[in-house]
Amino acid sequence: MTSFENLSVGDTINGPTFDVSRDSIRLFCDGSLDYNPLHLDDDYMKNSFGKTNFGGIIMHGMNNFGLITRMLTDWAYPAGAIQRRLETRWLKPVKPGDTIQPVGVVKSKQLTQKSRWVLIDVLVRNQKGEHVAAGEAMVEFPLSGSMAASIAS
Amino acid sequence: MTQAPQFETDFWKDANLRKVWDEIVPGEPRKTIPYKLTLEAIQLYCRSVGEDHPLYFDEAYARQTPYGGLIAPPSIHILLMFACTPADDWMRTPGTINAGQSWSYNKPARPGDTITLQARALDKFIKRERLFVVHDNVFFNQHGDVICSGRGQTIRPA
Repeated sequence: MTSFENLSVGDTINGPTFDVSRDSIRLFCDGSLDYNPLHLDDDYMKNSFGKTNFGGIIMHGMNNFGLITRMLTDWAYPAGAIQRRLETRWLKPVKPGDTIQPVGVVKSKQLTQKSRWVLIDVLVRNQKGEHVAAGEAMVEFPLSGSMAASIAS
Repeated sequence: MTQAPQFETDFWKDANLRKVWDEIVPGEPRKTIPYKLTLEAIQLYCRSVGEDHPLYFDEAYARQTPYGGLIAPPSIHILLMFACTPADDWMRTPGTINAGQSWSYNKPARPGDTITLQARALDKFIKRERLFVVHDNVFFNQHGDVICSGRGQTIRPA
């Protein structure tokens, strides 16, 4: 079981693999209400965007974000920890047929006056090992007893 | 309470009503719409990213946790960003490319919450011939609690 005490810098968190398809992208349109033609319209995607040509529809960047969140919360919830921050940037487009997987690496642990924090480097890789997204997260491990106060509304 | 009667999924419709990069004024608030977050919307979002944690699906389980009931995953703001903005919002301009985002989480959103958004562009710039906008967003629940706040960068179609 993950706890603040037994975490070490360099510990890894393996997230779920995710198979990207036209159907998964379509479902993310419905789940996110983001119906931008970048994700839906083959004809539109024959165009260039600034200096970029994607060569076909692309997965929503925020699908990466959702997948990283799933990795972090599945890791944090059993420890009574809370995802407090996630920052990401997109490095490569993801397309139907790709399989992606987020991974996290514990970067540091830090105490503040009232709590305990873990900083995590996050990456999303595709099936070729290419990095399609990168970022960092902060997960709070509240001091025992403060959990209910910190999350209950 | 005004609420969008039906979400417009055709991002080409009303395209001419949306501000282009030149018209976006950093600091100027965007029009937003209160949105009632339903269990169905949360669970549809969850399915779209493979979220299957019982905190989002199993009321009996969730009640036994410190959360005291079902919640939405933190990344629910992905849905709320579009749900809380009208069809003429510039984030819906076809070809808008998301370059990166950072979000901070405070309280979880819950099914039945009425969510409001305060949002604005904070900056715009040109880099390597691309038109960028920095946007800033804060989501609140019906109690006035901050749910989460985030900033992101999009590359705007020319």
